[in-house]
Amino acid sequence: MTVTLQSVAIDTDCPDEEGCLMFANERLVAALVRLSDHHGDKAGYWYLEHGFGRLGGPYHPVFLDLDAAQDWAVQRLVDVRRN
Amino acid sequence: MVTTVHLLLERHRLIRKLESIALLSHAEKQALLALPVTVEALDANTTIARDGQRSRTCCLILNGFACRFKSLSDGRRRIMSFHTPGDITDLQGLSLNVGDHSVGTLVPTTIGLIPHESLHELLQRYPSITAAFWRDTLIDGAIFRAWLVNIGRRTAQQRIAHLLCEMTMRCEAVGLSRDDGYRLPLGQSDIADALGLSPVQVNRVLYELEGCSLITSHDSSVAALDWEGLKRAGEFDPAYLHLSQEEAA
Repeated sequence: MTVTLQSVAIDTDCPDEEGCLMFANERLVAALVRLSDHHGDKAGYWYLEHGFGRLGGPYHPVFLDLDAAQDWAVQRLVDVRRN
Repeated sequence: MVTTVHLLLERHRLIRKLESIALLSHAEKQALLALPVTVEALDANTTIARDGQRSRTCCLILNGFACRFKSLSDGRRRIMSFHTPGDITDLQGLSLNVGDHSVGTLVPTTIGLIPHESLHELLQRYPSITAAFWRDTLIDGAIFRAWLVNIGRRTAQQRIAHLLCEMTMRCEAVGLSRDDGYRLPLGQSDIADALGLSPVQVNRVLYELEGCSLITSHDSSVAALDWEGLKRAGEFDPAYLHLSQEEAA
């Protein structure tokens, strides 16, 4: 599986706008947003704004950095393919 | 002496709660105040009753704040309702033997445990109190229906505004008023778990509502600032709370 990240600005209607699109095998699987200062001790973390397919659903985790987000995503995507 | 007075004042919240939805005679109020109550002071985030547990008492919130919740298999919490002083969180236990959800505190909370036997005896002697408790249970159902609509069809901002309006009115009905400085002791994770949102979404909305001067928000408490504006933001119509003695008559 090949995962790529693309920086993008996301309109969240709030100060969180530094975003990142995550692609797996050239398919969009997640949109993440970097949390701004008004999120207190979570400022700078990456938030799963929206996941697609296996990454979709009501769970919106927060990651220390994009590497952690990528690891999480790959684990979920690979587990599905094994099944 | 001070403790006794405070306990009486806190027990009066039960009276105020019931009087906000029903008419009670002096004798009925005295009978309610005379119920045997075992008082326990609990820390925040303490489970009062567990899903699947059998109980022989009903839990009256004397002060503090509580919630009913389910825990999901992955450990996440889903809050189904909030409870103010004056609420009995588990009247259903008088008829349903096994609990189908958990009850827990959100902040340091004092509860009063009332034996089922004593309540059954009271309800047999006072049909009007039975009617009041029945009405309370029906209103519980109305609140659940309102939450279904709120969570199922409104935006994050509308959901949060609606919830804050509901809890503000329910607190004021038992004498906990914004005008006296009372703040809803709801943290962002509590609101998130109640409305099916993430804490990040809740943080964003509270930031936005504060920016519009509709609320003031601290780490673990919220208060309405612009009441009419907040009601509009949440499309809030309090009719489902049935806070009217006249309606009960």
